[in-house]
Amino acid sequence: MLTCLSGGHVVDPVNGTDALGDVYFEDGRVVARPDGRKPDVTHDVTGHVVMAGAIDIHSHIAGGSVNTARLLLPEAHRAHKARPAATPLSTAGWSTFQTGRLYAQMGYTTVIEPAVSPHHALHAHLELSDIPIIDKAFLTVLGNEPFVLGSFRDNESPNVVQDYIGATLESTRAIGIKCVNAGGVDAFKKNVRAFSLDDVVPEYGLTSREIFQRMQRAVHASGIRHPLHLHMNNLGLPGNVETALGTIDASQGLPLHLAHVQFYAYGKEGKNGFSSAAAQFAEKINANPNVTVDVGQVMFADIVTISSDVMKQFNSLPGARPKKGVILDAEGNGAGVLPYSYRVSDFFNAVQWAAGLELFLLTNDPMRVFFTTDHPNGAPFTTYPEVFALLMSADKRAQWLSRLPADVVALTNLPAIKREYTIYEIATMTRAAPRKLYGFEDRGSLGAGSVADVAVYKTNEKDRAEMFRHAAYVFKDGELVVRNGDVARYTRGKTLHVKPQYNKTINKRLDTYYDDVYGLSRGMFAVEDAALPAPEAFAEVPCRS
Amino acid sequence: MSNATLDGAPIAIEDAYRHAAKILGGAKFPVVAGLATDAAGARAAILLAERLRGAYDHLASHEIFNDLDVTRSFGMFITTPAEARARADVVLLVGPGLTEHWPALFARLALGEPARFNDAAPRKVLWLGPKRNEAKVDGVEIETIAATPQTLPGLLAAIRARVGGRPIALNGAAAKKIDAYAATLKAARFGAVVWSASVIDGLTVEALQGLVTDLNVATRFTGVPIGARGGASSVVQIGGWMTGFPPRTGFGRGYPEHDPWQFDARRLVDSGEADAALWISSHDGEAPGWTRSDLPLITLAPKGAGAARGLYIEVGRPGETHDAVELAQETSSFVLRRAKAPSEAPSVAEVIDAISARFSEDVPC
Repeated sequence: MLTCLSGGHVVDPVNGTDALGDVYFEDGRVVARPDGRKPDVTHDVTGHVVMAGAIDIHSHIAGGSVNTARLLLPEAHRAHKARPAATPLSTAGWSTFQTGRLYAQMGYTTVIEPAVSPHHALHAHLELSDIPIIDKAFLTVLGNEPFVLGSFRDNESPNVVQDYIGATLESTRAIGIKCVNAGGVDAFKKNVRAFSLDDVVPEYGLTSREIFQRMQRAVHASGIRHPLHLHMNNLGLPGNVETALGTIDASQGLPLHLAHVQFYAYGKEGKNGFSSAAAQFAEKINANPNVTVDVGQVMFADIVTISSDVMKQFNSLPGARPKKGVILDAEGNGAGVLPYSYRVSDFFNAVQWAAGLELFLLTNDPMRVFFTTDHPNGAPFTTYPEVFALLMSADKRAQWLSRLPADVVALTNLPAIKREYTIYEIATMTRAAPRKLYGFEDRGSLGAGSVADVAVYKTNEKDRAEMFRHAAYVFKDGELVVRNGDVARYTRGKTLHVKPQYNKTINKRLDTYYDDVYGLSRGMFAVEDAALPAPEAFAEVPCRS
Repeated sequence: MSNATLDGAPIAIEDAYRHAAKILGGAKFPVVAGLATDAAGARAAILLAERLRGAYDHLASHEIFNDLDVTRSFGMFITTPAEARARADVVLLVGPGLTEHWPALFARLALGEPARFNDAAPRKVLWLGPKRNEAKVDGVEIETIAATPQTLPGLLAAIRARVGGRPIALNGAAAKKIDAYAATLKAARFGAVVWSASVIDGLTVEALQGLVTDLNVATRFTGVPIGARGGASSVVQIGGWMTGFPPRTGFGRGYPEHDPWQFDARRLVDSGEADAALWISSHDGEAPGWTRSDLPLITLAPKGAGAARGLYIEVGRPGETHDAVELAQETSSFVLRRAKAPSEAPSVAEVIDAISARFSEDVPC
């Protein structure tokens, strides 16, 4: 069936398109305008913006830690509306089912969960399988396991960890590798309470710098397209911009993705010893084209922090709002889950909010700066429309600034920044840039051959938030799934993964290692088809050839 | 092939599915209970409860909430058995009968071997309130203090007080022993407390986690919970992602509501609030705990556990007669269990699908 979206404002940065035009798709793929054929269906989208479906590169939507947060906070996810017929569990607050629905309604068609421990891969896949409509994937977390640390300590060939990465990606069916507080999570098990770039992991004699650099090289050498996705040391601490600048200096000129950098944009100025250092950080990002970042914008809301940085989460326990939390020390990496509430009247929270926006506005390349709230750590993903509106309007920011404590306003550059993101830049950071960051060839673009994941928004220059909150139409693989902001049809999306080549002799060594250290068969942790509700719903993302 | 009976008399499986669909589809507020099943079975059962606007509960909910209520009101330090095995230099076992709830406990934690990642120092093992003759493990020296489930909270409070350097109202040998315990716990580099919520109540679990919290001020300490029977841990997780809530969740208003009192299956049945029940007990055929016997009842249980009353449909045993995904105690993660003795008996998920396919058109999909 040939479908035509006619007369919309097509914004497709991958192909340099920013003009009125038509978009055609058939059999789930975008096609060039066919000669002499009449479309079977034409949607008149004049007065609308047409983009590829959005891609969220870092959002905690599934897996053991997210589920721990759900169970920790029964008070946080009440539904208030009965569900419509034919949409099972779509109003179950913060459920997998609702996650798919809410993302689709905003025009998002691919979302990456960024923190799944390899031993909990099957759990994450079971949850992803219950997220309807959108395509999804996860990063698996490596870099604090005794196997990796031991290999680095013993100065083994870099091929060992490279093969370990290949074996782990194969058994977990992940899309890339994240490293969290490199070495710090292991050090915390040895009662180390603070851990910076040049601190040493007891028993291994390795600094965090050495660990992340070696992981970065191993990921690069593995041929997967997504660079090492790094959660740096000292998240959330005053003065931690020094860690971030030091990490960029240590990035070896190789691709490196720094996660939720707003949480590292802090100086020590002012009477509270806490200030925004976003300007300095943005300058550094601008000057280092090998580095990509996502922002992790904070918005004023009740949230829950979900992190594999167990040390950081433990240290944050006294400040939890309300005061409770789960601290999991697990093999290699673990997790910490605690609720929090960002308040506009709270000096520190207001600085965080401003620092995030400064990073968005003072960096100059939307191909390298990604749009995230680190959902749900900075804000729920449902606040994205508000964040888009703030980026696109200096007036709107001024209105918000007027609500902030005066001492915060004095400590940020935000009032002086007049930049307003264009629709084209928004499309770049949410479509074209993620395509490049994950090495997708089939999405993030409206070029012929791309999957027909298309989001259509009714132009609303007065209320950008409303525009992005309820897409007028969303097509997933060519099927109309959202109409006027409501889900019209539930479909099953795919789970995306990578499968790099590696030397399989590592598997034998790992099997022995698991028997020896854990007394368990390593095979127990592998994700097998027989365990999956829909093993056919997987798609491989190519590696570098 | 499956076997089915109605009030003890065999009926054709097709008739059983139709009859089940009629009971459930015609009920105003059915309860899906027991829920002792694998991941696919739990998922199907929760979807069914939602479709019918009923409720779901698990046969071990009481034990589930002994842990979960502490997590969601106080918080929890936990680790995996694998990490405890590899790293814990001090293991504190709490309560009697732990190996009845987890027979592989001693072997899994390798109590007789030193902790791999703590410079191979021998493990110190403590046990508060074991059963008589229970604290005997070959090659392991276990320091015990006698206690009953009733006296455990007081004992834990005393140890916690001594860990914090506060005085206690005991003296002599008892005080000395508690001081020695406190000293051992404080000297741990990475300690782990092991308990079963089937043995101790929620307040004791909270006392235990309070102790762990205090120990973490100066060293590292964490916990290994032994999950409740009947696949409880799997069902808690699956309910979590499907609805946001663990068992004892109802859909009467068209959206999930969680209330551990209101949606207690036993109370719903005995009070008459539920007008039909689907009882799922696929591991060992454990029977429901309610007393009422006039309620339309469908039982899904394995061979040999047929119900004399109501409709019974035979199901396979997860991981025994069919492949099954479940949350494994030994890994704290979902794993695939391959069938040990495959049979034709259908899984719970297959039976629920078969029943759901026979609902009349006025049941929403």
